Amino acid sequence: MAAELLRRGLRDHRRALVGWCFGIAAYVALVAAIFPSIESSPEFDKLVESYPDVLKSLFGIAEGGDITSGAGYLDVELFSLMLPLLVLVLAIGSGARTLAGEEDAGRLELVLSYPLRRRDTVLAKGAAVAAEIVTVCVVVGIAIALLDPLVGLDLSMGRLAEALGALAALGLLYGWLALAVGGAWPSRAFAIGIPAALAAGAYLVSGLHELAGWLDPFRFLSPFWLVGSSPLQSGADGWGVLVVVVVSFAVLVAGSVLLERRDLETP
Amino acid sequence: MSGAPAIETVGLSKTYDGKVRALVGLDLHVEPGEVFGYLGPNGAGKSTTIRLLLGLIHPTAGRAAVFGLDTRTEGVPARRHLGYLPGDLRLSDRLTGREQLESLARLRGRLDASLRDELCERLGVVLDRPIRQLSRGNRQKIGLVQAFMHRPELVVLDEPTAGLDPLLQNEVRDLLRETAADGRAVFLSSHSLDEVQHVADRVGIIRAGRLVDVDAVESLRERALRHVTITFAEAPDPSRFAGLDGVRVVATDGPVLRLSAPEPAMDAVVKAAAQQRIVDLVSQPADLEEIFLELYREGHDGG
Repeated sequence: MAAELLRRGLRDHRRALVGWCFGIAAYVALVAAIFPSIESSPEFDKLVESYPDVLKSLFGIAEGGDITSGAGYLDVELFSLMLPLLVLVLAIGSGARTLAGEEDAGRLELVLSYPLRRRDTVLAKGAAVAAEIVTVCVVVGIAIALLDPLVGLDLSMGRLAEALGALAALGLLYGWLALAVGGAWPSRAFAIGIPAALAAGAYLVSGLHELAGWLDPFRFLSPFWLVGSSPLQSGADGWGVLVVVVVSFAVLVAGSVLLERRDLETP
Repeated sequence: MSGAPAIETVGLSKTYDGKVRALVGLDLHVEPGEVFGYLGPNGAGKSTTIRLLLGLIHPTAGRAAVFGLDTRTEGVPARRHLGYLPGDLRLSDRLTGREQLESLARLRGRLDASLRDELCERLGVVLDRPIRQLSRGNRQKIGLVQAFMHRPELVVLDEPTAGLDPLLQNEVRDLLRETAADGRAVFLSSHSLDEVQHVADRVGIIRAGRLVDVDAVESLRERALRHVTITFAEAPDPSRFAGLDGVRVVATDGPVLRLSAPEPAMDAVVKAAAQQRIVDLVSQPADLEEIFLELYREGHDGG
């Protein structure tokens, strides 16, 4: 039944997922390996302090934050930009491929000619996307936890879990949005482009709202702002994460309803 | 579902984007135990009809039912009775044939492994190579197996023998006949009269979104013209053929005579020709488009 689509979704992306996990783990290891030399050079803090505000803002270098602490360093180097970027690329790619991509390639027709409800199809594919995101986040968590004692990051494991939870929530939102856009239109380009553009906008709002006053009222619309920046130093915003997850589910359900109502594209 | 027709459509219509009328007021009735041939040129609305039957697209007007189950509101139970071979079959390239069939069986939620193996053996399916390495014909065989392997009450096939060699085309025809003999229904869509005429009991002809005619395949063949080219040893006398019923002399060129004749007149044509020494005789079935033109002439009084 529809569970087969979850299985197949994971199977089809298996190789890509293994590649992502290794790649991200390697990147995390590289960043962590540089930490001891940052920690031992206090002038680095001064250098960062002299950055323009826009840069500091964008890279999540908080006022009073300490880039020479393990948590501060990883917040700036991983959690403010690189990890969300990588996880979102994975999530949007996977969400777009599994529905819009399959329809574009004409492979959805045979699947939907089987006795399945379309909404179950979307939910099963959504579960596969979620499983991929969670897998990558867990791998990142394990990598950081293993590196922590080796390079002396001195992290709080609770904060690390919060940071990864926020990361997964962001991935879920944009991955499921890509899936839902595929439910609305049979176009892989839309399914990649719309979530990617929205994510880029939301990221800028979150990074720059303090500097550009007129953006400030819109910060509530940015999932990046909602889950909280510098999660390793100050923790993730639990309510924000909850809101993002709830909106993610709403988006997925909307996508399944939209697919139910429209005509399948002729291959 | 007992007693309900395998397919019933009432005024079934589909208009794309509010302007392209792909199907107009289709009334169709297919009973269990019959092979129904659905014949029309490319773009006539055959695939639109099939996609409506499968609930892949929604009708603009009218309704379609499979064993009494509305394809729009009761699509899932309706599709339990269905096996479908798409006209443009796309499989997952990386899976092997075996993996693809197993995955599809799990998707349906039931598997008759012995029937699947029997079908695979009968059609000579290549099971252990990735789909992307298979020829068009070998992919088509996998598509046929998945359409039949759960013993559906109604099999919907869109150009099923495309890409198959003649031996396998025969095997598929046998499979269709056996399915009908088993009391199940087959809906066979094609643009080729040849694919349909040897296996279908009745034939529906569709053109430009409208059902032009539904007829027993026999009477369709009787009306179908043959193109006959006879080469005589010396110049023939065309008037000998002109008097025969339904026969029209198209051209004479020295010893070569071309004429068109309906199938029932063929005997008289051959006998008339045999009065002279014949070098060669070629008879070819008229193509579908000509049969349509014929039908149009009949239906619209010369229009």
